[in-house]
Amino acid sequence: MSAAAQFSAILRKDLTRELRTREVLVSVFLFVMLSLVIFHYAFASEGNDLTFFTGGMLWVTFLFGALLGLNRSFAQEKDEGCLDGLLLCPVDRVTIFLAKTAANLLLLLAIQVVAVPVFTLFFVERSYLGDLPLLVLVVLLADLGICALGTLLATISMNSRARDLLLPVLFLPLIVPLLIAATSATTAVFAGDTGLGDLTVRLVFLAAFDAVFLVAAYGTYDFAIGE
Amino acid sequence: MEASQARLESAASSAAGGRRLLGAPALFVYAGAALAAGLLLAFWYAPIDASSMGFSQKIFFYHVPIAWAALVAFSVAFVAGILYLRSSDLRYDRLGLVGVRLGLLFSLLVMGTGMIWGKAAWGAWWAWEPRLTTFLIACLLYAGYFVLRSMVDEEARRATYAAVFAIIAFVDVPITFFATRFLPEGLHPVVLRAGDAGMEGSMLLSLLVSVLGMTLLLAGLIRLEYAAERLRDEIADLKDRLGEVGR
Amino acid sequence: MADPDQGHSRPEIEVEGLRKTFGRREVLRGVSFQLERGGFLAVFGPNGAGKTTILRVLATLLSPGSGSVRVAGHDVREDPMPVRRAVGLISHSPLLYPDLTAYENLRFYADMYGVEDREARIDELLDRLELSHRRYDVVRAFSRGMRQRLAIARAVLHRPKVLLLDEPHEGLDPRAVDILDGLLAEIRADHTFVMVTHHIGKGLELASRVMIVDAGRVAYEHAAGVDAAAFSAVYREHVQEGSAL
Repeated sequence: MSAAAQFSAILRKDLTRELRTREVLVSVFLFVMLSLVIFHYAFASEGNDLTFFTGGMLWVTFLFGALLGLNRSFAQEKDEGCLDGLLLCPVDRVTIFLAKTAANLLLLLAIQVVAVPVFTLFFVERSYLGDLPLLVLVVLLADLGICALGTLLATISMNSRARDLLLPVLFLPLIVPLLIAATSATTAVFAGDTGLGDLTVRLVFLAAFDAVFLVAAYGTYDFAIGE
Repeated sequence: MEASQARLESAASSAAGGRRLLGAPALFVYAGAALAAGLLLAFWYAPIDASSMGFSQKIFFYHVPIAWAALVAFSVAFVAGILYLRSSDLRYDRLGLVGVRLGLLFSLLVMGTGMIWGKAAWGAWWAWEPRLTTFLIACLLYAGYFVLRSMVDEEARRATYAAVFAIIAFVDVPITFFATRFLPEGLHPVVLRAGDAGMEGSMLLSLLVSVLGMTLLLAGLIRLEYAAERLRDEIADLKDRLGEVGR
Repeated sequence: MADPDQGHSRPEIEVEGLRKTFGRREVLRGVSFQLERGGFLAVFGPNGAGKTTILRVLATLLSPGSGSVRVAGHDVREDPMPVRRAVGLISHSPLLYPDLTAYENLRFYADMYGVEDREARIDELLDRLELSHRRYDVVRAFSRGMRQRLAIARAVLHRPKVLLLDEPHEGLDPRAVDILDGLLAEIRADHTFVMVTHHIGKGLELASRVMIVDAGRVAYEHAAGVDAAAFSAVYREHVQEGSAL
């Protein structure tokens, strides 16, 4: 019973469930689309150049969208009492963390694959095809941090009295640094300001953020999922 | 009913908990002395700042020690969190709670003094300056600590989650400070700069005396608050036991 | 499939001075008992006596506050993984994912436990529990009795040596009770059981030992072999507060 087999069993179970109910995918996708429409009416009037705001708009949307999904990721385990079933299994708790993080990451990516092109169509004037790998890198690094930290905190808030209220209160202030870096890096790509210096610093920062919180989660997850 | 007898005895012994409060006042006396000395030094010994800030720079001698104390308090909570997770000893949970509470209080004071200084130096109450912004985010972060505690009923679980969160939050603060520098350049007055011997000796001495005073004040407050939390727990415990005896 | 290092002399379950507090509430106040391999312990007691807490500690879902607890020769605190492999739990809630099919649920748990003959084992259990015809239906559409049957399949899937049963007859239709009793009788010989129940008749019929827990302590423990009427009298004698039978 290797950790890899258990990892894929949990991931497979979560994805099967999500693909059957489409609870998270549909509602988060609609939320993301509606946010973009609202941004248009909030910021874009005739001839306004939104380029400087694009990174912020994109990440605020994804952050809150991810929050919706994170809240659900343990809801099923908790509501149906399945968490006990999972904890009864001879599985390293960190494997549960990694599988849940991966499931959240895949869902977020699935939404972004559609949402980023739509966002580009709506708000980005420059064609950034040449810098697409850079954008993909920024998105992947930022998503990993969002999902790792979010999964850890969702585990904690799952056992509280009002989990959907608690998660944003804990999660948002902690994710601020990642949001700042992802925002400015994304804006730089959209604006064509991809001189390597600043962007590299941000990419390294995002990678470091991911690493720090993966390690922190590794050290504390046993306690977070606890008894 | 010897059990209830034993309970009453333990109730009497907890009055000794009250006596433990007496350690704190001594620390407050030392803290007061050091802070008063720092005040005198700041105003009559340290020179008026030569740059444009002039006299308003005097607040530096409080602003910086308070910020120092806030970070010390958060690090106390961080260490207490690690110790709690290793031992499951509720005393560390109490220490962590006190650390975060005082850290939050001092952070609010940092922002207050920072805003006063900002108004004098730049003519605006608020500027998105990296250090000030970091403290704002830290306040929001650690405020979440109390929301977390209030939403978990079971004591051991609450303590565990609080410890995990205090650890993660403490790790996040320096990362936040780093990230805030991605914003356009800051306005923070640089009095002490790395690599440059910088501050005049008289300024440094005044600052260090104030830092010492503020640290002592923090130590006294931690002790006082810790004892108060202890008594609060004991009261809750006694109430429970009274209820049980009554049944 | 017994561990070679484990002699027959050692009890399968050893609980010594187990205490557990939730916050300020002391739920278990020094529980000690032993159960030999192949034994069947029925645990009775009023609601809130700590019966379920004992089961959850044995299952490693709760850590023992103090005292020592060994299951299948392993300490639950120091060495939980082998305990988890050795234990199957049937609890109030079926521990099944309602949006997955019966097969998907069993497959998930089989993978988590590393069951080698996965497909054959799932077929065998679905057949045994008369659920083969609902194999590809989502559990949400199952009746309470069918869910409970599938929960039994889930609990024995990895061939645990120790079965922990928390009021397993609760909410079962007569057919499911028959199936459960039949299955228990079949595996009775080579498994060790701890069953928490309110059902005095069922408990006495299956058990080799009986135990009454009251207010976090073992109030009575004895080899089985009493009849229901006599046991009811014993129960009333040992449990002061309201009769939950």
